[in-house]
Amino acid sequence: MELQNEITVSVRINGTQFTAAAAPEESLLEFLRTRAMVMDVKCGCNKGDCGTCTLILDGQPVKSCLVLVAQANSKEVWTVKGMALDPLMQALQESFATHGAIQCGFCTPGMLVTARSLLADCPQPDRAAIKEALSGNLCRCTGYKKIVDAVAAVAACQASARVQGGRCRVWKQQ
Amino acid sequence: MATCFNTPQVKYNSALRFERHGIPADELIFSPVVRFVGDRVAAVAATSPKIAARALSLLDVDYEVLPAVFDPEEALAEDAPKIQPGGNLVAEIRAETGDLDQGLAGSDYVFTDKYYTPRPSHIALEPHTCIADVSRDGPLTVWSATQNIFAFRVLLSGIFSLPMHKVRVVKPPVGGAFGGKLEMTIEPVAAALAMMCRRPVKVELTRREVFFATRTRHAAVVEIKTGVNRDGFIQAQDIKVITNTGAYTSSALNVLGAMIDKAFKQYRIPGMRCQGYPVLTNTPVAGAMRGYGSPQLILAREVHLDRVARELKLDPVELRRRNLVRPGDPNPRSGATLGDCYPLECLELGAREFGWDTWRRPILPPHKKRGIGMAVGVHGNGVYGVHADITGVTITMNEDGTGILFTGAHDLGQGVITILLQIACEVLGMKQQDWSVIEADTAYVPWDLGMYASRGTWVIGQAVKRCAETIAAQVKEKAAQILNADLEKLNLSGGRVNAPDGSSVSLRDVVWEIQQKDGRELIASYSHRSTFNPTSYGADFAEVEVDLEQKTIRVIRFLAVHDVGRAINPLLVEGQIEGGIQMGIGYALSEDLKLDAAGKVVNASFKKYVTPKAADMPTLKVMLVENGERQGPYGAKSIGECATIPVAPAVANAVADALGREIHAFPIDLRALSD
Repeated sequence: MELQNEITVSVRINGTQFTAAAAPEESLLEFLRTRAMVMDVKCGCNKGDCGTCTLILDGQPVKSCLVLVAQANSKEVWTVKGMALDPLMQALQESFATHGAIQCGFCTPGMLVTARSLLADCPQPDRAAIKEALSGNLCRCTGYKKIVDAVAAVAACQASARVQGGRCRVWKQQ
Repeated sequence: MATCFNTPQVKYNSALRFERHGIPADELIFSPVVRFVGDRVAAVAATSPKIAARALSLLDVDYEVLPAVFDPEEALAEDAPKIQPGGNLVAEIRAETGDLDQGLAGSDYVFTDKYYTPRPSHIALEPHTCIADVSRDGPLTVWSATQNIFAFRVLLSGIFSLPMHKVRVVKPPVGGAFGGKLEMTIEPVAAALAMMCRRPVKVELTRREVFFATRTRHAAVVEIKTGVNRDGFIQAQDIKVITNTGAYTSSALNVLGAMIDKAFKQYRIPGMRCQGYPVLTNTPVAGAMRGYGSPQLILAREVHLDRVARELKLDPVELRRRNLVRPGDPNPRSGATLGDCYPLECLELGAREFGWDTWRRPILPPHKKRGIGMAVGVHGNGVYGVHADITGVTITMNEDGTGILFTGAHDLGQGVITILLQIACEVLGMKQQDWSVIEADTAYVPWDLGMYASRGTWVIGQAVKRCAETIAAQVKEKAAQILNADLEKLNLSGGRVNAPDGSSVSLRDVVWEIQQKDGRELIASYSHRSTFNPTSYGADFAEVEVDLEQKTIRVIRFLAVHDVGRAINPLLVEGQIEGGIQMGIGYALSEDLKLDAAGKVVNASFKKYVTPKAADMPTLKVMLVENGERQGPYGAKSIGECATIPVAPAVANAVADALGREIHAFPIDLRALSD
């Protein structure tokens, strides 16, 4: 393995342009964590199997460990932190918290990004569709039930909010 | 570069829990003899991971190939290669109550089975990581994703000959642990390199390395012989367990000791014998993993009992109903009570809710088979009876009425800090947002035994309760003066001390008065020693569908009913149980580190090591039996480990029911079964 010359990469990360030198074989995940210091993207396997590094690249959810940073050049990246003001993400975060869908939290950023993409594309998925959509994201703590509950609650709430024209807030049913 | 040639050759046991623990020390930071694929050979520090990887690739090691043995039963043979100088059998552990031989002789039937349980990995999503730093005037500081800061301090101080006050271990937020971060692995490597470089060194394992170079659950061979009467009452049971502890002793003794302990706490068995043989092999090191011996024992025992039930033509629920321990039963080994234990209530509630008696096998295409199964699990609450189970906590109250809790509890995602604050709030009438917690840092918190053995709520919760009560007593004393009220009749709620006449004073004013008028700080430390170790139980029920064409097993629905004493935080308790179900389904159906002929792990990736994903999970239901354990904090008992213990045998029994045949090897391999 020879060390190759570095390249210059410029990525718009959570709305702010970031430019830095990078190795050509560097993944977007490594670039974000070691150069841009974006720490809400986690690395659980670095092989595309666990989903903890899921983020939005030019509108599409991707596992950032599988994307070469060069492929992200001049593109736009959104991580969970950058979506803090997005109403759908806020509803999901609130729902995750109230449903107990977070234990250690390591899978949570990737889960939230995946869940948001699902609901943006398919506002009313059934439980099976939610489970299928989340199956690229591993979680060892929760057994997935409360995560699926949390996403399903937002989906149901979105549906009723659309009817009533209101904002979606989710509270766990007692 | 650090190797065995330039680092301390101080032997240690990575599972050490406290000073002078006295378990066999056979591990080194770097060993001159490589005992398994995954043993530490050398480490390089560099300014980037890339340079470090390149440096490692340039390393040329000449290995002298030694004979090896990978199977624990083979490792027990006279002529097997000796992995440690003392031989491969670490110890023989034995416990007996009543008269086994008489019990077997007097039984109507005797059944014998032999089971093989697998070697799963913990799969905390965050890989093992630590940073060591010695640059600040000598002391060694290690930030580690660990479950046991004080044990790591003992180990590091021993290896590097540093006094304990010169070693600081800090636990930052941890991304899951499940026992896999209880034993020390990478920390002395980082420390050795940091001492060489005189700058901070970070060690971060790849997922592949986590699989083979940290810890696994002990694979076990379990032989069970049960003497039972025609009416289904068990007369005697003889259990012999061989565990594969891997290349180093690690938790070999503790895990088998804990396993054998549980064997006496589940059923009323007049004659009972349990023997354990932990065996060294040239395989990845086994250690602590959620359940700590119980999953192997209970998987084998519960699958065996279903076979006994079939032979007797007795319903599996009925067999357990006749034999389960009752509240207040004694542990036959010690005579001590098992506590307020309700496995029978879990069983009855679960059978009703699941529809056990009314379930009928659906009509399906011939290649699809449905079945149901159930199992009862058992686990402890802390380590009282084995070690001094101690924790210290400190509470300081601030003059604005807020508080700071100092504790050696390690939050690993299970939510122990939330539980502790709930308890403090309950005693002091405060809100969670009124607290900050200084957690798991040997420089700042009182001593704690470590975050394992399901002892968080049971031991540390109790300590926080008593510590908060000493603060509350002082608050009431001062408030009684201020309000000119009867101290006994004051109550703390809403951040105030309230008297029966409706007068009240804020906590803020009370603390300020104590500080400025009395001239002292409102602070309390409490050292708590657990003096009781009750048993937690769960009864789980599963329905599965086996597809003989696709060779797949799907768990369709799952019900878990647990005797938790009282759920201080029901959402967290459910979360523990649901997570335990995921781990248990994996244990039954897919999770096992497999080795090639040379002892190398062949499935060290999430692609090849299969763990249930969201879509693989059944419809889950969790129910709690909350009758209260009198000696627990607010009646609570443990749940963390018990959550996973009955899962795998419930699933396995459902598969056996679906297929109509016995299963003896796990994870269940349909291809092997159909041969």
